[in-house]
Amino acid sequence: MSLALVGGTHRTVPISLREKLAFSADQAAHALARFRERFPGREGVLLSTCNRVEFYAAGSTDAAAPAHEQLVSFLADCRGIDAATLEPVLSRERDENVVRHLFNVASGLDSMVLGEPQIVSQVKQAWAIAEDSRTAGPLTTGMFQAALRTAKRVATETGLGRERVSIPSVAVADFASGVFERFDDKRVLLVGAGKMAAETLRYLRAAGARDVVIVNRTAARADDLAARLEARPASFSELERELAAADLVVSTTGASEQVVPLEVFMRAEAARQGRPLVVLDLAVPRDFDPRIGDRPGVWLYSVDDLAAACEANRRRRLGEMPLATAIVEEETSRFMGDMHHRSTAPVIERLRAGWSETGEAELERLFRRLPTLDAAARAEIRQAFERYAAKLLHPPLVSLRSASRTGPPHGLLDALRRLFDLKD
Amino acid sequence: MAAFLSGISIVCFAASYGVALACEASRLVIRSGVRGAVMVGFATAGLMAHALFLGWRAANEAALPLSSPFDWYLLAAWLLAAFYLYLTITNPRTPVGLFTLPVVLLLVAAAQFSSREPFPRSPATQVWGAIHGVFNLAASVSVAIGAIAGLMWLIQAGRLARKQAPLQGFRMPSLERLAHVTGRTLAISAWMAAAGFASGIVLNAVNLRCGLLETVPWTDPVVLRMGALVVWLIAADALAAAARRRPDGARTGARLSLVSLAVLATSIAWGVLGPTRHGGGPLQPTAGTEAAP
Repeated sequence: MSLALVGGTHRTVPISLREKLAFSADQAAHALARFRERFPGREGVLLSTCNRVEFYAAGSTDAAAPAHEQLVSFLADCRGIDAATLEPVLSRERDENVVRHLFNVASGLDSMVLGEPQIVSQVKQAWAIAEDSRTAGPLTTGMFQAALRTAKRVATETGLGRERVSIPSVAVADFASGVFERFDDKRVLLVGAGKMAAETLRYLRAAGARDVVIVNRTAARADDLAARLEARPASFSELERELAAADLVVSTTGASEQVVPLEVFMRAEAARQGRPLVVLDLAVPRDFDPRIGDRPGVWLYSVDDLAAACEANRRRRLGEMPLATAIVEEETSRFMGDMHHRSTAPVIERLRAGWSETGEAELERLFRRLPTLDAAARAEIRQAFERYAAKLLHPPLVSLRSASRTGPPHGLLDALRRLFDLKD
Repeated sequence: MAAFLSGISIVCFAASYGVALACEASRLVIRSGVRGAVMVGFATAGLMAHALFLGWRAANEAALPLSSPFDWYLLAAWLLAAFYLYLTITNPRTPVGLFTLPVVLLLVAAAQFSSREPFPRSPATQVWGAIHGVFNLAASVSVAIGAIAGLMWLIQAGRLARKQAPLQGFRMPSLERLAHVTGRTLAISAWMAAAGFASGIVLNAVNLRCGLLETVPWTDPVVLRMGALVVWLIAADALAAAARRRPDGARTGARLSLVSLAVLATSIAWGVLGPTRHGGGPLQPTAGTEAAP
């Protein structure tokens, strides 16, 4: 049994080449169909995300996994790229390192954003496409199942995925949720129509926000965004009134001057009746006068404040790496042990079959000599023979399993073949 | 069984709460998958031992809950411990024990230093005595819960003002929820304390009529401090309600709830250490003779 991996990530492949190398779901299915034709009897899974393209191949003793050069050439053919261009940028792994790499990938330890959870669903999707394309087999299925189990362990037993590291997620989960218990009864005001506003709103929607108002200098842009985000557009001239009604403000204008100076806010504050206000000022330069953050009941966060919290969370994630790596190592050893043990199956099967054949012959001879035995007595004797054979087989099976933990037990398998005259 | 029950002492459940508190404190330095189970296990064991201790006293020493200062403090501690256990199970990521368990242990310590002598009882005073004790108990527990929520509000607000992400394993409830709890508990404690004081007046009137008292001890230190506590709690509730529509209203409410706990603690300390004739009998000049706070 052998495993091979060829692939490139954001670290090794420049984005211009990554764009060409990337596979959509349909393209991946098509590529796997070609793989099946080109490498019959082999297993293959293609993982393609924004930041990585990796091909995992597996083969049995009869049909080993394709060589790295063959896989590089196959990927190049699929995407119409010159193989010579890919050769220097794609990394290669074999056997145990393939397993370790996949477990690291599935756990988010190899991601651009350490510990990001989306990779788990991408790994699941890659495996599902391979199953549909009939290129997933017992080896890759076992390996991907173990990878998902490892990812789950890393997520639950370490704090790697707990700390948020994107500005919108930190803004909502660590700060806005620290002020408000719920968002379904809060008014959210988006000032400006920046990309970050839409992303922050996605988190707010997930937290329950329903009532959203968008204010933008260009009314048409506000209308367009409001239609897309299921929000209510409002005229920029109504900003002061909307500020008075809002509980949470996300501001992302591209204005070069302050959109909400202190004086404007003070006028709106008078109508707020003491309700707390969270302001996520994600614009650069800032839209809100920083002195507004000193007003009682106002929680003002600039993009720098949130970036600092993200960085602190990132450092905490890094602190979890040793624990996560230990889990990956443990699961890799377990999987490799199981894989090596699985390679002993044909020898064990032949050994069992040989003993069973001999036992049956002896039983037949015995039953012929004792024709008066009834069916119950025969069944008892047959069971005793089977138990005896199973007990004799137990010690060598235990030795094989134990030896499999450290590598393929070639020596023991050879010894069994020679001692019991097992023919392939 | 009887030998087992009679062997349960204050140390048993105080130690269990202490271990649960140590587990809570360890959140700040160590992350562990089993800490939650250990914490809940010790808190549950402590709560059960605590309940069995009170039950054993009620069954064998005729010391019903609230029948002496000792039992009163222990019942208040039990209620707070139960409140802690409920919150820990429903909000496992919130370190509520760091704030609740010290108050529980202080109440247990107060019980240890207070009198175990039961308040004088007669059929005529028993009902009003129980009502008086229950209202005072509810007021005190409410003040303690409000102060815990108030302290958590100030810590959470400090973290948000410093723009820091929450610490690992130290996720506080939102300011909105904490402000809601402080507001509610301030109101409840004011009403309960007022009802406790009023029922105390009725109790004294009944005692006077039954000949258990020669005069109503209006100037008794315990009566005076209870009166002061009631006045403070009503004033605090009114101040908090007035501040609610101001931007810093929640902060004012949090501070008032903390001051209320300080007033209650002073009142209890005064009661434990000072002379009193509250609860019946002649003026008692030394510690360990206090009645229901």
